[in-house]
Amino acid sequence: MHNRSLLATTVVFGVTVLLLCIVIAPVLTVIAGSFLNTSFLGISSEQWVGGKGGTGDLITFKWFGYVLELYRPQMIFGVQLALWNVAVCLLVGVPGGYALVRRAFPGCGVIEDLLLLPLSIPGLTISIGLLQAYGIIRGKWWLLLAGQVLYTLPFMVRSVTSTLRSYDHATLERAARSLGAGFWQTCWLVTLPSLRHALVVGSLLVFAISFGEFNVSFLLNTPLHQGFPAALYATYTTNSFQVSSAATTLFLLIIVPVLLVIQALGGRETSRIEQGA
Amino acid sequence: MTGTAMPRQQLREGLLLLPLLFVVVALLLVPLLTLLHSSFQGSQGLVVGQKGGGWTLANYTQFFLSAASRRALGNSLWISLGVSAFSTLLCLAPAWLLVRYEFRGKRWLRAFFTLPMAFSGIIIGFLTVIMLGRIGVVPRAIEALTGSDWFYGTAYGFGGILIAYLYFEIPRATMTLESAIQKLDPRWELAAASLGASPWQRFRFVTFPLVLPALLSTFAVTFSVSLGSFGVVLVISKRFSLTPIQIFEEVYALSNYEAAATMSVVLIVLGLIVNFLIRTLAARVLAHRA
Repeated sequence: MHNRSLLATTVVFGVTVLLLCIVIAPVLTVIAGSFLNTSFLGISSEQWVGGKGGTGDLITFKWFGYVLELYRPQMIFGVQLALWNVAVCLLVGVPGGYALVRRAFPGCGVIEDLLLLPLSIPGLTISIGLLQAYGIIRGKWWLLLAGQVLYTLPFMVRSVTSTLRSYDHATLERAARSLGAGFWQTCWLVTLPSLRHALVVGSLLVFAISFGEFNVSFLLNTPLHQGFPAALYATYTTNSFQVSSAATTLFLLIIVPVLLVIQALGGRETSRIEQGA
Repeated sequence: MTGTAMPRQQLREGLLLLPLLFVVVALLLVPLLTLLHSSFQGSQGLVVGQKGGGWTLANYTQFFLSAASRRALGNSLWISLGVSAFSTLLCLAPAWLLVRYEFRGKRWLRAFFTLPMAFSGIIIGFLTVIMLGRIGVVPRAIEALTGSDWFYGTAYGFGGILIAYLYFEIPRATMTLESAIQKLDPRWELAAASLGASPWQRFRFVTFPLVLPALLSTFAVTFSVSLGSFGVVLVISKRFSLTPIQIFEEVYALSNYEAAATMSVVLIVLGLIVNFLIRTLAARVLAHRA
C-alpha cells in the first residue's frame, strides 16, 4: 500500500513502542533486581536472609534459595492445581463444547452465554457466593479448584467451539459414519484429531491462567492449600523488594515459557489457515 | 437419518453437555443466587452459623447511606470507565500494526503484548511500585538526569493506578481489536483514497465508523476486567478504596458475609448495566449503518 500517510505510520509505531516499553521494562527490572546486588544503590535485603554470602558480590542467587525454601509448598500446589484445572476443563469442556456446536437442545445458546458470563463478573464476588453456597468458611481445596474452573473453562470451550465452527465437521462425521464408523470411532478417529491443536493451546492457556489467578482464588485459598500468587502476595506485604523480585522471577520462569509456546503454536495455525490448507 | 436414530443421537449429545451444565448451575448460578439471597438477610456479624433476622433491605440502605461505600463504588466506576477508554484508544495502534503492517519479529511483538495476560493484579501492583514507587527506577533515573524529584511516589497516586490498570488491559484490548481489524476490508480505504480522500478523511469517515463497534466491545471487555480487579490497589495503596477492596475487608476483617454479598450484588449489577448499555450502543451503531 502506497497511500499510507507518514504521520499515521509514525503515530502507530510510536504508540506501539511506548506500550511495548511499558510492558517489558518492569519485567526486566524485576528480573535484574532478583539477582543483582543492589546495596550499592543503598537498597539491600541483607537482614532478610541473615547476611549469608559475600556482600561484595555483584551477582547473587541467595534470594532464590530463600524464596524456594519458604514458598516451595505453594509453588508445588500451584502447579498441581493448574494441572487439575486442565484435566477438569478437558473432561467437561471438550464434550460440552462439541454438544454446544451441535446445538442438540434449544437452550444451547443460553448455556453458551452463561458460560462466558464469569468473564464479566468480578472473581471476588463469585468466591464469596461459593463460600456461602457451600457453607464452608475457608474450607476445602476443591472449592478453590471449582472457582478457578469457572474462569478457565470458557477459554477451553471457546477454543473447541471456534475450531469446530471453522470447518464443516458435521459433513466429515457423516462421511465417517456412512463408511461404517460408530459414534465413538468417529469421535476418536475424526473429531478429536481435528481438535488436537485447539486442545493443546486451550490446555496451555488454562494452565497459565490458573497458575496466575488471584481474583477468585484469594478468599478461597486455605492455610494449607494456596496457589503461588498467594505466596507472591505474602512476599509483597512482608518481605523486601529483592525477595519479592526473586519470587516474581520464579513465577515468570514458569509462566513465560507457557505463553511463548501458545504464541508459537497459534502463529503456526494461523499461517496454515492463511495458506488455505 | 431414520426416525429412531435422531432421538438417540440427541440423547447422547445431551449426555455430553451434562457436565458443562452441572458446572454452570452449581458453580455459577447457585453462588449468584446465594449472593442475592444473603444480601437480603439480616447480618449475622461475627457469630458464624447463627441465623440472621430474616428478610430485610437493611444491607442495601446501609450500603447506600455509607459515604465510604459510595466513594469506593464511585472510584471503581470512574477508574474502570477511564482506564477502559484510555486503553482501548491506545491499543488501537498495536492492533492496527499487527494486522496491517508486515515486518520481521511480528510474532515476538505479539508474544510480548500477551505477556500481562497471566499476571494478576498484585504482580502488576508490585511492578508499578518497583518502577514508580518511592525508590522506583523511573523517578531515580529522572532525578539522575534532570535533578527533579517530582516523580517520586507516582505509583501511589492516580497516575500510578492508571498505568497499572493499563498494563493488564493492554493484551485484552489489543487482542480484541486485532481480531476486529482483521475482518475489515482494506479495499474500503483504497476506494476512499481513489476518490480523493485525505488520510485524515479516510480515518474519520471510513475506518473509524467501521471499527466503532469493535471499539465499543473492547471497551466493554476491558471495563469488566477493571471493575473486578483489586490486586493492584491491594498492593499499591492503603488510602484509596474500591468496592472489591471493601468486600475483601468485610469478609477478612469483619466476617460480615451479608454486607459483602450486598456489595457484590451492587458491583455485579453495575457491571452488567454498563455492559448492557455499551452493547445496546454498539447494536445501534450497526443498525444505523445498515
